[in-house]
Amino acid sequence: MYIFWIIPVFLILYIIRIIIGPSVWDRLLGMNLVATKVVIIIIAFASLYELTYLLDFAIVYEIFGFISTIFISLFLMERKKGGKK
Amino acid sequence: MQIAGNIIIIIGIIFMFFGVIGIYKFKNFYSRILISGQIDTVGALTVIIGIAVKHGISFFSLKLLLLAGIILLLNPLATHITARSARLSGYLAQEQEPPPHDKKDGV
Repeated sequence: MYIFWIIPVFLILYIIRIIIGPSVWDRLLGMNLVATKVVIIIIAFASLYELTYLLDFAIVYEIFGFISTIFISLFLMERKKGGKK
Repeated sequence: MQIAGNIIIIIGIIFMFFGVIGIYKFKNFYSRILISGQIDTVGALTVIIGIAVKHGISFFSLKLLLLAGIILLLNPLATHITARSARLSGYLAQEQEPPPHDKKDGV
């Protein structure tokens, strides 16, 4: 289907943004967006070959991407504060 | 049914294209994260609903709607947490060049 060559183009543009991104949080944002695009590719693949169980992978991948974003941003917050506590 | 699904998917891809433009157009981090977070969620949701429409009423589209609900719930939260972590760590927006309309006041 046509999704399979449009979405990778967006992925490459996001990856360029991750590389250029001036701050760490740009990279974190880019990682979150790339995770969503990968979920879209998994869904397109599942819909093409009628494989229902692939959708469970997409759900789990989305949740893990979200959890990783949370903990990375929490880690960055503590690191930037320099642990003044 | 198939054509309607395809049209919705194309609309979703157009939303994603705007999201990509949004990332490169804005120089300031906070405006960039605001735009790309929202548009990316909307684009993903439109594509998922488009694929669900292509499959009609079946377990496949039901599971897709569940995934759409999860994305609708989690993506804005992730964007908020990223912006909050940037804000609390003192990543002030002034580090980049100020928005064009401020230049006229000599700020």
